[in-house]
Amino acid sequence: MENYLQELEKKSIAIIREAKAQFKNLAVLWSTGKDSTAALWLCKKAFFGKIPFPVIHIDTSYKFPEIYAFRDKIAKEWGFNLIIAKNEKALKEGLSPEKGRLKCCTELKTEALKNLIKERKFDALILAIRRDEHGIRAKERYYSPRDENFHWNYKDQPAELWDLYVKPSEDYSHMRVHPILHWTELDVWRYVKEEGLPINPLYFAKDGKRYRSLGCMPCTVPIPSTASTIDEIIKEIETSKIPERAGRAQDKEKAYMMQKLRSLGYM
Amino acid sequence: MSMPRVNLVVVGHKDHGKSTLIGRLLYDSEAIPEQKLEEIRTELKQTGKTKFEFAFLLDSLEEERKGGLTIDIMQTPFKSKKYLYTIIDCPGHKEFIKKMLTGASQADAAVLVVSAKEGIQNQTRQHTFLIKTLGIEQLVVAINKMDEVAYKEDKYQETCKELEQVLRSLGYHDVPMIPVSAMKGDNVFKKSEKMQWYKGLTLIDTLDKNIIPHTLPINKPLRGVVQDVYQSEDNQEIVVCKIETGTLEVGKEVVFNPSGKKGFLKKLLAFGSSKEKAEPGDSVGLIVDEITAVERGEVLSYPENQPGKVKKFVAEVILFSGIKIENGDELIIRYGTAEKKCKVEKIISEIDPVNLTVRLKNPEVLKEEGVGEIEFLALEPICVEKYSDFPELGRFVIKGKRGTAAAGIVLEVRN
Repeated sequence: MENYLQELEKKSIAIIREAKAQFKNLAVLWSTGKDSTAALWLCKKAFFGKIPFPVIHIDTSYKFPEIYAFRDKIAKEWGFNLIIAKNEKALKEGLSPEKGRLKCCTELKTEALKNLIKERKFDALILAIRRDEHGIRAKERYYSPRDENFHWNYKDQPAELWDLYVKPSEDYSHMRVHPILHWTELDVWRYVKEEGLPINPLYFAKDGKRYRSLGCMPCTVPIPSTASTIDEIIKEIETSKIPERAGRAQDKEKAYMMQKLRSLGYM
Repeated sequence: MSMPRVNLVVVGHKDHGKSTLIGRLLYDSEAIPEQKLEEIRTELKQTGKTKFEFAFLLDSLEEERKGGLTIDIMQTPFKSKKYLYTIIDCPGHKEFIKKMLTGASQADAAVLVVSAKEGIQNQTRQHTFLIKTLGIEQLVVAINKMDEVAYKEDKYQETCKELEQVLRSLGYHDVPMIPVSAMKGDNVFKKSEKMQWYKGLTLIDTLDKNIIPHTLPINKPLRGVVQDVYQSEDNQEIVVCKIETGTLEVGKEVVFNPSGKKGFLKKLLAFGSSKEKAEPGDSVGLIVDEITAVERGEVLSYPENQPGKVKKFVAEVILFSGIKIENGDELIIRYGTAEKKCKVEKIISEIDPVNLTVRLKNPEVLKEEGVGEIEFLALEPICVEKYSDFPELGRFVIKGKRGTAAAGIVLEVRN
């Protein structure tokens, strides 16, 4: 593996182990996208092959069929404890993006997770967000506390010095742990290639289009692309002038939409 | 394809143009996709602003853009011909110490921004003091806002002269100082036509030439910190260590401190394979012969060169807001992976980080956001080391209810 990828990996594995050592009831979030699949792989590596905590998939029911297929296949092959979080109540009431994206994302993702955390009493969650994805995510810490209502107090975040990741004694309800915060989109693809990780077929170009970031079907659009292999994707990103999340509607419906979503507990 | 990576923190007095300079670096290095720029232009229009603002590239929070100030740190990558930089922007406003230290503790080098118009201000001195305290030795100065002083050489020289004194008093020597206008782009990425009198390099070329990326401390004595202990499937104890300095090799005798437990390293585990040695940064699983009940927080080394068990130590401490320290206080410090109880034996001095002088000798209290030298008494066995010997084990944080409440650098240890 290239040196710098090793450096990225080492740091991430150390952070995952810190979280496992410090929190009683840890879980990892997995969307089946490239980032969280890489993070899952890092968890596997950190614990010598067997992830010792549950893997949570938030199911909005609006995901692509390829996502469900990929999820079930990997869960079986890698043999971890998969928990599916779903806001059944909101779905029964017929919630969909047409009722407003902020509401839809908040209810079907954030609320679904909130309910699960409450029920299972998780005190820390590993999330595969990266700084280079979005301006608001660039403000994150490796350890990022959330209160009971999931609020992220981005104006007054705790200090985080060197690699001393400190668990607070109070003033938080669960900790978000971000082991790949320092990776870029390109890093993830190079790592996927290097490690031979399984990848959701939606990322590869079909009929001149591919998905660069995976979300719910109604709110995610593919980008024009001919990249049908990992090498071609790497090449495409190296020269691309388009931001990664350009196809994700919830980021750009209105100015500061992502900030609002995140301060309400969105990932 | 894999360029060396450099983390760069940008510091300086508020409104001297840190965010604008970073925005300029990102813009001129084409780190911002065109579509993103278009989004920003649209947003500026929506919010009634007419001029394109570079700071907008950095300040992504609504409050930051509307208020025109940076609220929290931000890390963004950009490329030069030589390095892949990650630039860390620190707010110069309220509670900046906590945020600045968070940013600066990740940095290999610093850029100090000083306005040619205003010259040295309080935070110019304070930020420089703080980055020096954190051990950042590589510094480059951008004398900014040259456009606002009509690109005059004497204004640049005047600021340089004044600044050199401050830098020298803190132990920085021969620091490159580049006259720039972040707003107009002079001497940042492009050589300025308006300052023909300046014969030196642009800011980016100076950084490329002067900054050396972080190198792994492979040639130092071995130190590692125990993160956790796992049970293997055949019920062996796997001691998980993060290596900080030196090289760990299979077959050698290792010791854990403060417990003093010793054994031969039988195997180094990695996922799916085993390794013969581990280097700084590696987080590895150790199977050590005849050893049980090693605990998180212990320090790994070879028997020939072990960390001492420290009874007392003196540290420079920087407090964040919401914490004060009094003589006799009992505190929890975190170094490596250890959390240990200490007592404040004596506050030796309170330092004025703005005027760079000792404000008080032997004060009873160190107030919030204060900086001072403190003598600590270890209430349980502790293995901190002098920062100048082992930075990785010579820095610590003081635990507060919300996590990290203060930062410390160990100046002296007594066994």
